[in-house]
Amino acid sequence: MSEPNESVPGLKQKKVFKIIVLGDSGVGKTCLTYRFCEGKFLDKSEATIGVDFRERTIRIRNEDIKLQLWDTAGQERFRKSMVQHYYRNVHAVVIVYDVTKPETFHSIANWMQEVESHGLTGAPRVLVGNKCDCGTPESRLATTYAQRLADKHGMPLFETSALLESECDNVESIFMTLAHKLYSKQPLRVLSVEGENKPKLVTLSRQKRSNADSGSCLCS
Amino acid sequence: MESNSPDAESGDKCAINGDCSLTSNKDSNGLNHAKNIDDISTPSELKFDEDFEFEDSDVTEKRKELEKCLSNPDVVNLEQWVHFAKSKGGLISDEYRRKIWPLLVGVTQEEMTVPPSLDELSTHPEYNQVVLDVNRSLKRFPPGIPYEQRVALQDQLTVLILRVIIKYPHLKYYQGYHDVAITLLLVCGDKASFPLLCRLSYGPNAPLAPFMQATMKPTQHLLNYMLPIIRRGDDRLAECLEKSGVGTMFALPWYLTWFGHSLNRYTDVVRLYDYFLCAPPLFPVYVTAALVLHRAPDVLACDADMAMMHCLLSRLPDDLPFEDILVTAKKLYEENDPIDLDGEVAALEKREEEQRRLDEERMRRRAAGRAGGRPVARGWSYLPVVLRRPGPRRAAFALAAALLAVYVYYRPDLFR
Ligand SMILES: Nc1nc2c(ncn2[C@@H]2O[C@H](COP(=O)(O)OP(=O)(O)O)[C@@H](O)[C@H]2O)c(=O)[nH]1
Ligand SMILES: [Mg+2]
Repeated sequence: MSEPNESVPGLKQKKVFKIIVLGDSGVGKTCLTYRFCEGKFLDKSEATIGVDFRERTIRIRNEDIKLQLWDTAGQERFRKSMVQHYYRNVHAVVIVYDVTKPETFHSIANWMQEVESHGLTGAPRVLVGNKCDCGTPESRLATTYAQRLADKHGMPLFETSALLESECDNVESIFMTLAHKLYSKQPLRVLSVEGENKPKLVTLSRQKRSNADSGSCLCS
Repeated sequence: MESNSPDAESGDKCAINGDCSLTSNKDSNGLNHAKNIDDISTPSELKFDEDFEFEDSDVTEKRKELEKCLSNPDVVNLEQWVHFAKSKGGLISDEYRRKIWPLLVGVTQEEMTVPPSLDELSTHPEYNQVVLDVNRSLKRFPPGIPYEQRVALQDQLTVLILRVIIKYPHLKYYQGYHDVAITLLLVCGDKASFPLLCRLSYGPNAPLAPFMQATMKPTQHLLNYMLPIIRRGDDRLAECLEKSGVGTMFALPWYLTWFGHSLNRYTDVVRLYDYFLCAPPLFPVYVTAALVLHRAPDVLACDADMAMMHCLLSRLPDDLPFEDILVTAKKLYEENDPIDLDGEVAALEKREEEQRRLDEERMRRRAAGRAGGRPVARGWSYLPVVLRRPGPRRAAFALAAALLAVYVYYRPDLFR
């Protein structure tokens, strides 16, 4: 349990990026954060009551960065006064919807509103369409449709699955994208790293994916 | 999602709550009540509460007394049942619980009616949320339970929950209610668990009623008793918790589900329910405080950091000495009646209100700082745009503005 976190003078403390994960109940927030932090699918996920916390340390250019993921309950009643506390000092936002449930996509407007009401309009945000292993291409929400909304809000869109092993790189890139974005925003870095990190950056391959290659369905 | 990956079994155990990678290897013994279940026609046949451990002689003695009382229940008064339920070891086995739990809350045989079918209830507006949570309650079933039986029980669970909120339409379903409902269902079966759950949900002293109001405000208020109770037990610990800003969220699932959601060991859960069923409604909060007091050394050794503290506290070890914790909780209750704590709770809520106000102000500032500092980041949907050098002329200004904005972002406290 003990992290060497005592502030020893002269010793650098790990940077911490705090990311909040939002979205309707059941879209897969818990599974996605679990996939990223534990490297596997959470087989028996449970309803999240209140707020769960997971973290993982990543490396960006030889520096250890702690990513703290705050996984929130989707049910409306927890949000009003309860979850509010956890918006404190949030650096970035992930909004998740379920590609097989259009109503969860339509809720994004509400989630955006919540984000805005917490003064996070300028914070890096990404949109994630989860469960792309489910359903048929026709039954899933069209990528172009989602992309339009993502563009409107200026956020990258990821379509992914917390379930599929083959998608784990993509889950990885959701959080790595945010981490790089936050890292590059840091005041002292801006001067020293310009240009240097271009080739190393995570690619948003999925973003440009066409609907054509979505044949890998696990459930119907 | 029935497809089991080979490592899923070990994986899900470390995710019961909180789930921090730091400690995920800690509770690897997980559920220890695996038994083969062949038939679930009566709830007592589930029998996954038995540990086949060496039974201590007090328990053997108590078992005898319990059986004597149960053989002639009409001459036994409520106090006697309550005594059994609260004293060491509680009601010992689900076989006894099934008969005694209804007595503890005053449920009669006549109230135990045959439930309606699920189809009749599926038009309820909360149906989807309930089903979603019920489908994710796999961990609460005995491992190895045959698929058909589990599905049948899950349907019973959905029916049970919907029946209550249909009977009392002003009561709102909350995530976690299903954890209470399933505990009652597994122990008492689908007929008795309905009046039991009604009794816990509706009425002036019903312990779950505050959780089912339109908002969670009443729940939050009640949870705010935790810190003052802890302070009565250990001033330094309360100080440490408050300094970390951890709040009460780590204890929310404990309180909302009477620990059903958060403990791996089924036997611990039902033991606590024995007590809670006949305790004052706020007693679970005292248990929460006693539990944190029990873990004081860990808490005091933890960084005064909200995330670390939340992580440490929200994950419960498997070997908690609940008999001792209940004794502590009882003592705390006797020595510090909720009324005596009202003043402290009010003061705490005032401080929180003030903090909230400051936060809101900060948020506004944050938003304003951003808007002024640099254009709203429309462009970054394509990362390369972000990395492109700014045009030479505006570069210096843009950089300075961005630096300021980022600085305000990371150190908003300096710009208050
Ligand atoms: N097929 C499929 N199911 C998923 C995926 N992610 C989550 N689920 C399932 O969806 C349900 C809800 O997931 P959960 O992470 O608990 O949702 P949350 O309420 O947003 O945290 C669970 O039954 C998961 O097993 C996915 O990528 N594909
Ligand atoms: Mg969740």
